Amino acid sequence: MAFAPMGPEASFFEVLDRHRESLLAALRRGGREPPSGGSRLASSSEVLASIENIIQDIITSLARNEAPAFTIDNRSSWENIKFEDSVGLQMVSHCTTRKIKSDSPKSAQKFALILKILSMIYKLVQSNTYATKRDIYYTDSQLFGNQTVVDNIINDISCMLKVSRRSLHILSTSKGLIAGNLRYIEEDGTKVNCTCGATAVAVPSNIQGIRNLVTDAKFVLIVEKDATFQRLLDDNFCNKLSPCIMITGKGVPDLNTRLLVKKLWDTFHIPVFTLVDADPHGIEIMCIYKYGSMSMSFEAHHLTVPAIRWLGLLPSDLKRLNVPKDSLIPLTKRDQMKLDSILRRPYVTCQPFWRKEMEIMADSKMKAEIQALTFLSSDYLSRVYLPNKLKFGGWI
Amino acid sequence: MGSRCRAWAWTRAWALAEFQPRAEEGAAAAGGYPSTGRCRCSLRGMEGTAVAVFEILRFLIIHWKCDIDVSKGALLEGQLVISIEGLNSKHQANALHCVTTIASAGSLFGGMVLKKFLKEIQSILPGISAKLTWTSEEGSYSQDMTGVDEKPRTLMTDCLVIKHFLRKIIMVHPKVRFHFSVKVNGILSTEIFGVENEPTLNLGNGIALVVDSQHYVSRPNFGTIESHCSRIHPVLGHPVMLFIPEDVAGMDLLGELILTPAAALCPSPKVSSNQLNRISSVSIFLYGPLGLPLILSTWEQPMTTFFKDTSSLVDWKKYHLCMIPNLDLNLDRDLVLPDVSYQVESSEEDQSQNMDPQGQTLLLFLFVDFHSAFPVQQMEIWGVYTLLTTHLNAILVESHSVVQGSIQFTVDKVLEQHHQAAKAQQKLQASLSVAVNSIMSILTGSTRSSFRKMCLQTLQAADTQEFGTKLHKVFREITQHQFLHHCSCEVKQQLTLEKKDSAQGTEDAPDNSSLELLADTSGQAENKRLKRGSPRIEEMRSLRSARAPSPSEAAPRRPEATAAPLTPRGREDREAHGRALAPGRASLRSRLEDVLWLQEVSNLSEWLSPSPGP
Repeated sequence: MAFAPMGPEASFFEVLDRHRESLLAALRRGGREPPSGGSRLASSSEVLASIENIIQDIITSLARNEAPAFTIDNRSSWENIKFEDSVGLQMVSHCTTRKIKSDSPKSAQKFALILKILSMIYKLVQSNTYATKRDIYYTDSQLFGNQTVVDNIINDISCMLKVSRRSLHILSTSKGLIAGNLRYIEEDGTKVNCTCGATAVAVPSNIQGIRNLVTDAKFVLIVEKDATFQRLLDDNFCNKLSPCIMITGKGVPDLNTRLLVKKLWDTFHIPVFTLVDADPHGIEIMCIYKYGSMSMSFEAHHLTVPAIRWLGLLPSDLKRLNVPKDSLIPLTKRDQMKLDSILRRPYVTCQPFWRKEMEIMADSKMKAEIQALTFLSSDYLSRVYLPNKLKFGGWI
Repeated sequence: MGSRCRAWAWTRAWALAEFQPRAEEGAAAAGGYPSTGRCRCSLRGMEGTAVAVFEILRFLIIHWKCDIDVSKGALLEGQLVISIEGLNSKHQANALHCVTTIASAGSLFGGMVLKKFLKEIQSILPGISAKLTWTSEEGSYSQDMTGVDEKPRTLMTDCLVIKHFLRKIIMVHPKVRFHFSVKVNGILSTEIFGVENEPTLNLGNGIALVVDSQHYVSRPNFGTIESHCSRIHPVLGHPVMLFIPEDVAGMDLLGELILTPAAALCPSPKVSSNQLNRISSVSIFLYGPLGLPLILSTWEQPMTTFFKDTSSLVDWKKYHLCMIPNLDLNLDRDLVLPDVSYQVESSEEDQSQNMDPQGQTLLLFLFVDFHSAFPVQQMEIWGVYTLLTTHLNAILVESHSVVQGSIQFTVDKVLEQHHQAAKAQQKLQASLSVAVNSIMSILTGSTRSSFRKMCLQTLQAADTQEFGTKLHKVFREITQHQFLHHCSCEVKQQLTLEKKDSAQGTEDAPDNSSLELLADTSGQAENKRLKRGSPRIEEMRSLRSARAPSPSEAAPRRPEATAAPLTPRGREDREAHGRALAPGRASLRSRLEDVLWLQEVSNLSEWLSPSPGP
């Protein structure tokens, strides 16, 4: 092994190893079907041809004196999303669509913006250059109005052409961090070693391009907040529980962070755990990693890790650890609504323990941040809570 | 029952009134008749035949509404025949001896008592002596006459003025038809004035405004230009009470004068041409009680009084418009001539931009009506009308703040719609440019010759430049075609059809834009409005000289039992009494205004709100 053994003794990971075995067995039993529909990595010529076909269709419509229109899948409609335990949220094969017409007051502008971004993608692919969504927005911020418009159109185009965003030569800005027993080589040949130190490594922007991933981590810990991540870094968590990998998306994860987690799972099949606040927002973030989001459901196969387990902070931990009430926060109305929304989601039905934890939260009408554990001691999280959870299988 | 029997007996008989104006009054028309055929005078100073016709028609219409059993909200319906016969005078050279006949068809005046009619009309038309002949199945009555001669040009002017008057009447009484004929030495010309089956907007209180644009503004190739809506879309303003100055010799009226403005752009702002729309002129139409056109007396010439100051009604600077009075009125046109006309001084900016050279006309209708808690008598209406024709200037000056406030609010709404439409149009144009440029970028950047070739062939373009031109053209045509028909007229029709099942009296043609149906069926909305009260009317009473408050939703209260005399002395009592408009009229107006506003901007709001996210 290339890494200096600094962590606990081998028996510490017995439960983890058994868990990993069960996951591998489930994988072998499941025999995951290849992704149907959804996006794929397309070649440049394929992307260019797809865009040219769209233009041809538009011109043909105009020649017939018909107003051209784009047909877009309703990505964010629940009726077009199904849940599979092995995949998470994904789009159905024959989903409902909507038309973006060029002659309607409501949609004429969006029609034009889609064409605008298509033309920009065309140029990027032709010139083999890349741009982020933010770059695209700033090419004409007045025209686009706001970043969300650009983001949605890019997702629509990706869904419409059935190619990944990467194939469109559009990158998402990475904001995630990674630390621990992992090294790899980026597309441009840069060697990256994420071994724990005082600082973490930024999640690369080209996940699909990284190669030669090497790790002997026993687990991957996804941390919701950067503050918690930094705290664990400061407490030298990666070395104390080495070998392991820590990763954070700093809240709602960006695409690259999700892609990296997915890549680690697909490559190494090591257990993945989440450490989130005991609040509806944290639970929702965890669900994004595990089951995916509605808006990106068309790319679920590349993004979701249904094998993720909830390590903490569990609502039941609050009572078990006698966390004082003044460390707890009442649920707001927005929290209540979000919690109700999550409880109604299809994937919760196959997670009875998660459901129970959420019901504890709903009943108590209280939430807590991970930092609430500091009432016991400042390093309780890294010294006691997490090690015990990992050693004794305290995940659900 | 008795009057009904008489009406039946008079069916197909007609009441005939013949009169011949005095000679000296027949020649009083100001100005000559230039050889160009345009008359430089307006209705000022008109006397003689024209005056007599006006007065008799006015009398008949008032009688029609007041004495005949016509329900308050119903439109007048019937036909009147006006014929003028001129023969070479035996007493005066170069003069015509004129006899004017007014007849009614049908049972319009079946309840009219003949002697009473003659007595009343004689009393109100002191200048018309001559021979008044009433012919019916029951006999005839007449008085001795003196001979009357008119110069041919005078007669011509009078005829033009009469036609103008008739046009103005039918604009608000669309079910009344006039047959006007002039026979000079055996040469007959006949014209029929009627607007049946044309789209109208019911204003309540028995009048409905014709909304066909062609009556108000002439435009070359109007009908062929698809970029114009054929209708105007009036926005009704809040009714305001007018104050009578103390120095005006008063008649004790047991009621109030209420001014209701209505404004519209003509042609309609739903223009989807490449040209930007601009306001080029303002036309103001004055109507008195019962929708009778206000013909002001000689000394009440509009342009020398209240309206001479173009900012008396509206603050035009707010819209970067500079208005100047337009004294050039051409009677010899088939349009409804305004009583007051302003022109916009165009700027260099207008000329440099892609502006429509003809521009739009802002139509402003001022309806002055009389409201009373008591049944209104015919002579009372007559008196109000006379008051208005002789003292309109003083009344408007006295009520300047409230009048300006209400009109400004109405014009603001109309021009705001215009502005919104212009913005929507600009947004569309911008989107088109983006789409075309994007396609061009892909086409010119493509290295696949088959793709480029196919694109050029599809649009039958020889090269990329021609392709770009054709692409823009076809995009514009397709989107304009959609927007041209996306007019509030469709929304109104849709609303009318939706209410058809539950509405009363849906026999009108589907394209009749009368919103009466909505009024009949939205009783709940009326109740809600009634509860809110009538801040505008109450504030007017308590703040007589204050400026108009910011417009709020006008909702009347139920009229109270007491009445306040409309005299200067009685004004102090009026505040104590406090009455409101008849709830039906004002609440209907409020509803109409809201519905019109919502219809006008319903489609515009789509443009200006953010696109919904996926």
